[in-house]
Amino acid sequence: MATDTDTGRVEEFGEVSRVRGIAFEYLSLGASVLGIFALAVLLIYVTIDAFDLANANPLWLLTYFLTLVVPFLGFCLYSARDRTLTRRAVTVAGGGLVAVAVAFTLVETFVGQVPRLNWQLTYLFVVIIPLTGYLVYMGARGRPGSVGFGMVGRLIGGTAIGLAFSVLFLVFDERLWFLAYTLGIVPALLAYAYGRLRDTPAAVTAALPISILGMVLAVFVREVLRTYPTTAFIYLWTLAIPIAAAGAVVVNGRGSRTAALTAGGVPLALATAVGLFGRAAGLGVGGPNALLVIAVTGVPVAAYLHRVFDVGEGVSGLGLPVLLVAGALAGAFLVELFGIPTPSPWVSETFLTEAPSRTATEAGLYPAIVGSVIIIAMVAVLSFALGVATSVFLEEYTADTGVVGALTRLLQINIANLAAVPSVVYGLLGLGLFANLLGFGFGTAVTVSLTLSLLILPITIISAQEAIRSVPDDLRRGSDAMGATRWQTTKNVVLPEAFPGILTGTILALGRAIGETAPLIMVGAATTVFSPPSSLFSKFSAMPMQIYAWANFPQAEFRYGVVAAGVITLLIILIGMNGTAILLRNRAERGN
Amino acid sequence: MASRHDADANGITRRKSLAALAGAGALALAGCTETEGGDGGSGDGSDGSDGSDGSDGSDGSDGSDGSDGSDGSDTLSGSINIAGSSTVFPLMSAVAEDFAEDNPEVSIDISSTGSGGGFANFFCVGETDFNNASRPIKEEEQELCEENGVEWVELIAATDALTVVINNENDWATEMTVDELSQIWQSDAAEMWSDVRDEWPDEEIERFGAADTSGTYDYFIENVMGEDGHTDDYQATEQDNTIAAGVEGTRYGIGYFGFAYWFQNQDQITPVAIDNGDGPVKPSLETASSGEYQPLSRPLFTYPSMEALGKEHVAEFARYFVSQTTNEELVAGDVGYVPATEETQEEQMQKLEDAIEQAQG
Repeated sequence: MATDTDTGRVEEFGEVSRVRGIAFEYLSLGASVLGIFALAVLLIYVTIDAFDLANANPLWLLTYFLTLVVPFLGFCLYSARDRTLTRRAVTVAGGGLVAVAVAFTLVETFVGQVPRLNWQLTYLFVVIIPLTGYLVYMGARGRPGSVGFGMVGRLIGGTAIGLAFSVLFLVFDERLWFLAYTLGIVPALLAYAYGRLRDTPAAVTAALPISILGMVLAVFVREVLRTYPTTAFIYLWTLAIPIAAAGAVVVNGRGSRTAALTAGGVPLALATAVGLFGRAAGLGVGGPNALLVIAVTGVPVAAYLHRVFDVGEGVSGLGLPVLLVAGALAGAFLVELFGIPTPSPWVSETFLTEAPSRTATEAGLYPAIVGSVIIIAMVAVLSFALGVATSVFLEEYTADTGVVGALTRLLQINIANLAAVPSVVYGLLGLGLFANLLGFGFGTAVTVSLTLSLLILPITIISAQEAIRSVPDDLRRGSDAMGATRWQTTKNVVLPEAFPGILTGTILALGRAIGETAPLIMVGAATTVFSPPSSLFSKFSAMPMQIYAWANFPQAEFRYGVVAAGVITLLIILIGMNGTAILLRNRAERGN
Repeated sequence: MASRHDADANGITRRKSLAALAGAGALALAGCTETEGGDGGSGDGSDGSDGSDGSDGSDGSDGSDGSDGSDGSDTLSGSINIAGSSTVFPLMSAVAEDFAEDNPEVSIDISSTGSGGGFANFFCVGETDFNNASRPIKEEEQELCEENGVEWVELIAATDALTVVINNENDWATEMTVDELSQIWQSDAAEMWSDVRDEWPDEEIERFGAADTSGTYDYFIENVMGEDGHTDDYQATEQDNTIAAGVEGTRYGIGYFGFAYWFQNQDQITPVAIDNGDGPVKPSLETASSGEYQPLSRPLFTYPSMEALGKEHVAEFARYFVSQTTNEELVAGDVGYVPATEETQEEQMQKLEDAIEQAQG
């Protein structure tokens, strides 16, 4: 190592020791492997518990592997159209099978029993899932793959958003929304459209006051008026029709008027038919929620179908949803046919739609899911608005020098420190300020959302500031040179440019908010509720609260099965939320 | 629609759009509308409450259908807020689950805050209707309640048998006297097992117990160690899981917690038979309810506030709760506590009825 000290001398350049560099590289590798490995083990065990995979018959695994996984991997390979990739994938899948089986047997013989794992499951988690991830990534680069994933994504995403809307309407009065929409938003949109078409700036300017006036009016009318359309008609009029119209406008921009009418009209008609008459016709589904889900899913799917056929490339990718559904059905059929015992997963329909119970098999998470979704929606809106406003002010408007500059710096330091304050402290603040002083009530959605928004506000502000700061100053100067005001520069240049970065920060912060327990306990959120909340001021529970309570139950089924199912549900909702935000971000980035 | 007359001056598009608008409006009006009787009863408006399909706006003014019985005397509705002990939490949520099933309009929420936390932060400031406790209400909590004008009545919920557990491989300490137990847990605690009894192994005792915020901790001190206090040399936790896992993993470990955990996980750890002078007694539902298992059987409580009992749905829930305390299948089978005896139940019911009468009368 003595040579290291000499490296400062240029003439002895050839004597540099590589030991430190190599050691550092492998230390970093070791650190990352350790972290990822620990997380992977945790997630694998939670998944195994939640889906009862430890008791799954190997034949059951094999059936679904052949009917669902293999065709899906085949689709990815077909889309990638790469012979070497195919060869490599087959080698990995086959070689991995042998390697895992041998390694696992060796471990079992010489080290000891591995709890709740067998070599089939190990193969699934260690080889197949990473391989699937990689092949999805490679497959999405091909046209059929991207079409297929886009289609599946729209189907799943549309359903999720439709369900989220119907959950929100559990606490938000849909009749008030109906009035606000009819009296405020529709006239405002008409005024705006009229102004644009006829080139009358006055009408465009009037749109905002009209909408505000209409909404205020709606609040008063809501007190007086007692007769309203049914929920299904409200959803149809206020949500399904505008969504269909928006879809039609998008398609109209790309293609013919007929196509636009079809893309908007067919899903709308389907949604209306199923929503209004589905139950009566004995379809098993129906009602306002079905209408909402079909409209929210159908319109983007129709628009996407039109685009795919318009481009005319990778149309075969549209078969992916069919392939998946057929695979699942075929698997179920074969399992039924040969009488293969099926595992009973803890994450099941009853778990997602039932209230908590003292018996593990009947326990459900529904009220807590509703609570979490509502809270997170409000937190997202509040923290995004407050965070962006604060960061824009701090970055674009305050002075850097003088007394104001010093004050700004002080504020900046405080915000940075607030990010490190433990969440319990925010809970205490929420208890004192929102629950007691302002009287929003103990454990209500309003109190909880405000507290959580405050909790993640520092993170949102700091990341939004970072994003705004990374917008090149040249762009601002350019805008200034065109004679734009500071407001115009911010609106037209800075914010669009910084938007993806701001979203990234908000996603991370929201992920923290959805999993918080300590502040919820402090503000008195309920551990268990048996029915979903009916207003913003009724008592709420959230998923982490319920999961934490289950983890303390004496019965082993709760501590392993039900808790694992809760964790998986929480993760799926978190991934769904993050996925939406990431899609928005990617879209914004592409837009630039 | 009168608005169509003044649209004639402009081109066809406008007329068309107005017609479309009018059509949509007519559709919305002509379709099923519904009239609300009581405010906030928007939960189920599924099947048209009025038969008239082609109704125009005129009949909307009268809300006298009388179809909804939400304000009627038959169905109970309202909310019930419950907080308090984590020990009573499983029992209370089991009872609440059944009650909520029978009375879907009543929304019950339960928070597991610990006995003291529930009294101090929620119950005695008038925020909750019930507070569960694994020990009787303390002097200072009574004062706090009094300051805020919160009156309450004490109801016995069930009996818990505090269970001392040892490792399954521990074959020496399966029976202990109260004095020996006290030697292990008092503030100058025995270090080695052999310090307690000479023939026991010369190994260090590893203790796992309840944290000092827990009602279990208070009860254990009061009934086992008395003035000798509780040792600091132990792993303190609020979670029974942690205690059980600790004792399970250490051959020379010892711990204590509520009966329910052991009852549901009988293979994991071994309970100690306690000798209170009349020979060793193992904790079980029978020995606890007969009073043989002494001094570690303890009553669990719930405290409804008088103000809340004035409301019919809360009073009804309290009656239901007391009636369920003798339900063996629920209290013992599902939750793992000792059901109340018939006499206790009668006593509690009488106490409750008096309180309800006073509150509502």
